Amino acid sequence: MKLTRRSLLESGWKLGGGFLALIAGWTSWELLRPLKAGGASGKIKLGSASSYAPGTATYVNAARLWVANADGHLFALSQKCPHLGCRIPFCESSGRFECPCHGSVFDIGGEWISGPSPRGMDQHPLSIEGDILVVDTSQRINGPDPGAAVFLTPATGPSCSGKG
Amino acid sequence: MTEASDTVVDVRNDVLEPQDRPVPEGWFDRVRHGEAWRSMFRHPHLDTPRGRALQSFSNVFLHVYPVKVPARVLKVRYSWRLGYIASVLFGVLLATGVYLMFFYTPSVTSAYGDMQQLRTGVGFGQLIRNVHRWSAHLMVLVVILHLVRVFFAGAYKRPRQFNWVLGIVLLAITLGFSFTGYLLPWDQLSYWAVTVGTNLVNYIPVLGDTLRDLLIGGEQIGQATLLRFYALHVAVLPVSLALVLMIHIWRVRKDGFAVKRGGVGAFAEESTDVTPIASVTAVTNVAADGRRVRLLGVVDRESVTAEERLTDDTVFTWPHMLVRHVVVGLGTVAVVLTLGVLFAAPLRGLANPNETPEPAKAPWYFVGLQELLSHFDPLVAGIFVPAGALITLIALPYIDRNPATESRYRKVAITIFSIVLLVALVLTVLGALFRGPGWEFIAPWQHSYLEL
Repeated sequence: MKLTRRSLLESGWKLGGGFLALIAGWTSWELLRPLKAGGASGKIKLGSASSYAPGTATYVNAARLWVANADGHLFALSQKCPHLGCRIPFCESSGRFECPCHGSVFDIGGEWISGPSPRGMDQHPLSIEGDILVVDTSQRINGPDPGAAVFLTPATGPSCSGKG
Repeated sequence: MTEASDTVVDVRNDVLEPQDRPVPEGWFDRVRHGEAWRSMFRHPHLDTPRGRALQSFSNVFLHVYPVKVPARVLKVRYSWRLGYIASVLFGVLLATGVYLMFFYTPSVTSAYGDMQQLRTGVGFGQLIRNVHRWSAHLMVLVVILHLVRVFFAGAYKRPRQFNWVLGIVLLAITLGFSFTGYLLPWDQLSYWAVTVGTNLVNYIPVLGDTLRDLLIGGEQIGQATLLRFYALHVAVLPVSLALVLMIHIWRVRKDGFAVKRGGVGAFAEESTDVTPIASVTAVTNVAADGRRVRLLGVVDRESVTAEERLTDDTVFTWPHMLVRHVVVGLGTVAVVLTLGVLFAAPLRGLANPNETPEPAKAPWYFVGLQELLSHFDPLVAGIFVPAGALITLIALPYIDRNPATESRYRKVAITIFSIVLLVALVLTVLGALFRGPGWEFIAPWQHSYLEL
């Protein structure tokens, strides 16, 4: 194509417009992107590992997660349901996690039992320093896929939401 | 006044320049004939057809309407006035919303307190909030009914395809309005409904997490979310809706009023034999009867305009249409005011991220989706179905090539649409009325878990 003054100007306008759109998009992203600072993030000490008895789930408010002991295996389970983000309470009578929103049920290890959740409860990495349990809330591991339940045992009693 | 009497022109009053008329004695009439008044209203009130036409042309408020409309448009059954009612509700929402803004701070520490203060410490605060809430719900309902009405009338077909698309955009903005406003009271109902609603975004492949975090300003719903939703609710969405609505109304005028068309694509009622003059912006011509006619633009071949009609069945918009709109507008305000007096807008306990209420339901217009989510994979029910529905609705006028508007010639389209509508209705009723804790089935007469 022959380069004329008109075609050069037209290309210049298009390039300039594209450049402005790019700058506007970048600026908007920088302004609106979520900030990672704030909230419960980073390593948090959860106390003595021996204080979490087998078959129990303890809510740690400082880290907003559940520490569950399934047959001696400790898990730091996210309280957020992988389905639609509702908080999952632990049902003492059934010994299972039962989501009140859509009825997903998880065993004490956070593994999927039933309901619409696409996977088990998400987890945070745990480590033991001396006898002290430490959770790293800055990292999240997706829960196990359905069908991979290892800690599934019969419910210890009636369900809190009528699901089983 | 009948149309017949409109056409009788009193020559003595049918003058264009006010200075030609004798100035009346009264102070108000003297003001009306003053320079300041005339600079604002360029044509005086002349109670003749020509005078009304001139005033409509030169007055922005009257110019929203065409000067004359086909007589059949005046019938309620023509449109059920749904688009107009939605606009009135938008006006009510703007007015009450501005009032509420005076008493509300978008902060997680004070928003809920502001709501309580509004109920107990602000004159008519509760009433204004109630009216705002019920108007919002009603607007979503009326916009959906408007869409359904337009579909059944076949009014989305050529030349109105783009206006249908604009209508879908307006529906999306209306839903966005309602959803962002839902969070602002910062109570348990709003917190968990928005939690459930925003988590749907997570299921968008690849970008889901990032988009959700961008929407709520972090990983959890908190201060950043409240501020973002507030900014969207009071600035971004109103401006967007006003702009799109202006184009929507302008297109209603430019595309002409919908008429019934037979199966072959020709107008059954009115002829469109007039050949459009291409690329003409202003042409002066001499009509057969010797009058000079000026065309100020060329409209689509299938638009029905006054020039194309064999007989003039039009009536003046002012007063015939305006009076009807005033009555419907007042009726709409009366309905929302009555609802506001009778029913209080809900306010649950302070939002608590550590306690999910049972059940946590999305707003009623999303609860059908929530019901669907309890049966199908979230990717299917949360993303594919709503996104597919939205894309299909937008593309509908371009997919449906059948030019007929009468239902007997559109059996397939009407059957498919009716089935989809029925499924959506059943899912919504099921989710809204028949679901309890743990999303278990419960009859509403046993216990109602309806959330509005």
